[in-house]
Amino acid sequence: MTTLDRARERDLAEVVAERHIIVCTGSGGVGKTTTAATLAVAAARQGRRTIVVTIDPARRLAQSMGLDALDNTPRAVDAVPNLDAMMLDMKRTFDEVIDRHADDPSRAARIKSNRFYQQISSQLAGTQEYMAMEKLFDLHSTGRYDCIVVDTPPTRNALDFLDAPKRLTDFLDGKFLKMFLSPGLTATKTIGRMAAFGTGLFMKAAGRITGAGVLDDLAEFFQSFEGMYEGFKNRAQLVHELLSSGDAAFVVVSSGEPTALREARYFVQRLAKEGMPLAGLVLNRVTPALPEDLAALAARVGEDDRERLLAGDDDQRAVAGMLGLLDRSAQVHARQQRNIESGLHGLDPRTLVEVPEMPSDVHDLEGLDAIGAHLIRI
Amino acid sequence: MDASQLLSRRLLLVTGKGGVGKSTLAASLALAGSRLGRRTCLVEVEGRQAFSSIFSTAPWDFEEREFRPNLYGLSIDPEASLTEYLSMFYGAQRITKLVAKTPAVEFATQAAPGIKDVLLIGKVKEIERRRRPDGQFAYDLIILDAPPTGRIVNFLAAPDATTELVNVGPVRQQAQTVIDMLTDTSRTAVLLTTLLEEMPVTETAESIRDLTQLGVPLGPVLINRAVQPAMDEAALKQLPTMEADTVQRVLGDLGIDDVETSTAEELLDTGRAHIGRLDLADRMRQRVADEIDLPSLELPFVADATRPEEIVTAIAATLEDRL
Repeated sequence: MTTLDRARERDLAEVVAERHIIVCTGSGGVGKTTTAATLAVAAARQGRRTIVVTIDPARRLAQSMGLDALDNTPRAVDAVPNLDAMMLDMKRTFDEVIDRHADDPSRAARIKSNRFYQQISSQLAGTQEYMAMEKLFDLHSTGRYDCIVVDTPPTRNALDFLDAPKRLTDFLDGKFLKMFLSPGLTATKTIGRMAAFGTGLFMKAAGRITGAGVLDDLAEFFQSFEGMYEGFKNRAQLVHELLSSGDAAFVVVSSGEPTALREARYFVQRLAKEGMPLAGLVLNRVTPALPEDLAALAARVGEDDRERLLAGDDDQRAVAGMLGLLDRSAQVHARQQRNIESGLHGLDPRTLVEVPEMPSDVHDLEGLDAIGAHLIRI
Repeated sequence: MDASQLLSRRLLLVTGKGGVGKSTLAASLALAGSRLGRRTCLVEVEGRQAFSSIFSTAPWDFEEREFRPNLYGLSIDPEASLTEYLSMFYGAQRITKLVAKTPAVEFATQAAPGIKDVLLIGKVKEIERRRRPDGQFAYDLIILDAPPTGRIVNFLAAPDATTELVNVGPVRQQAQTVIDMLTDTSRTAVLLTTLLEEMPVTETAESIRDLTQLGVPLGPVLINRAVQPAMDEAALKQLPTMEADTVQRVLGDLGIDDVETSTAEELLDTGRAHIGRLDLADRMRQRVADEIDLPSLELPFVADATRPEEIVTAIAATLEDRL
């Protein structure tokens, strides 16, 4: 039995029943939000106090969970006891972080009114990921939940998510601040004097081509952060420890397409390298193998017979069409399985769940339960 | 802009919700263009190596390579774009290399909002304006696999944001020429890719509103993986009325007379699910017609392909017929 076959025999029951934090991650458009919602509903149905934190979910899915308001506050999902849900508001979470880390309100106000803050709080690479982690830690600290399911932002690259805290704290670190205040003084051992000369040159050029005012504004922004990045860093460290512990579980979500599988592969490898707990891989919208009896039937009706059917009456042509659908489905299945085999070659995803394509868009609890039956087989 | 005039623009930016297949369609458009005699350049900006994977080539980088006849490709990253830009600015390679290793550059290419995007689009503009020694443009057609709809507005608005922050100097001028390219209806079109499903159609309609406000010219909407009916209309109408015994009788006439009722039922379920998908596709076509004021171009779902390149080749063939 191959590693993948062994992984296929497992499901996510243990994760849903026991883990305190479940992080769903993967590239965009593979069904992360739906998977997160499904796992949360399943955990809540087992009586665990659960919250799902989601980012910009499909409107109808949000409505089906009773989430109309985009307000950064946990809301009870009426139809499912024990389940809360909330949508993450990036800007507001960032504001809360500033309020918490600033030593006095006037400094917080100064930062929040800076013209670069607005842009940075919504656009800076890694901000969304960092904020998702912040919120996660926040919810964990309240002690109100047995199970916290987080849907990560649709990153350009699944790896951004793990790098985000470091990138953001590096950004707010004094390194850039010093550069903007006095480029000549960044001649540290690691950068070296020549590079410092380069920085100076760059800053001089930047000043000349952008006008000095722009750099002054940036410098002011970094200045107001001075002394705060220690707090950011400590917090990022705590989040990292929490996510590395046995209380956490990462569920990597993908489709059967090569690009998404490649991202999933990188992410699985990266988790292993970071020593973070991988629970398994969920592949959405996979075309299952034909049931044996249908496969046998398709094989028994030869080309001559099919042509005869196609020349026949409505019933006969309908049967021919349905047999054609079986062929189509078998072809897609074979291609996807080849993608999956080659995309995951040599990898141990621990658990591998293939969720078949649902007959219609998933946008209600019934749909989530139908997917749930694949993630947790009874 | 009619779908048949698609290749009259030199620069086509392909975007769409994640998972709808925008990279596949970008590759198909590029392949179709090169086969129709356009010297074509396919550009990747997110470092995903989608095209080297589809076409089974060595990994792509900043150097343009001819990977199929008449078809070139490269992967643009902000660091290489900045280095190239600085070398134009400073000339000397040595100093450029020196500058490229400093935290200032790390800041510009990694952390600073928008600058990264300006660098990427700036390189696209360089490719778009480049001329051969005989005075002809280097490329007749440039296909950019742009960021997904969730990021496309910030991506395309980055040059605008730059001109707001920077009032004078070469950076301002550079940003302005990029804006000129992006808003020029004779040079550029943004193509949105969608599926005939609720979420992608909704996101496409929303993106069109945002992109229209931004003033970028929009080309036809590309509808990917449009499900094709597996039978003629009369047969489709008949299907819902059929029972297991009808299926058994039809197959029995062929000499296959031992088909279980449960198997016949399963076959009918397959047919009914197909009708469900066709109905959904029709509803979504109606939504596209009602909510989106742009022409659309449907590309078929390719079932009988074994490798990604075969899907791209099949879609390119459809495009060649339509363009």
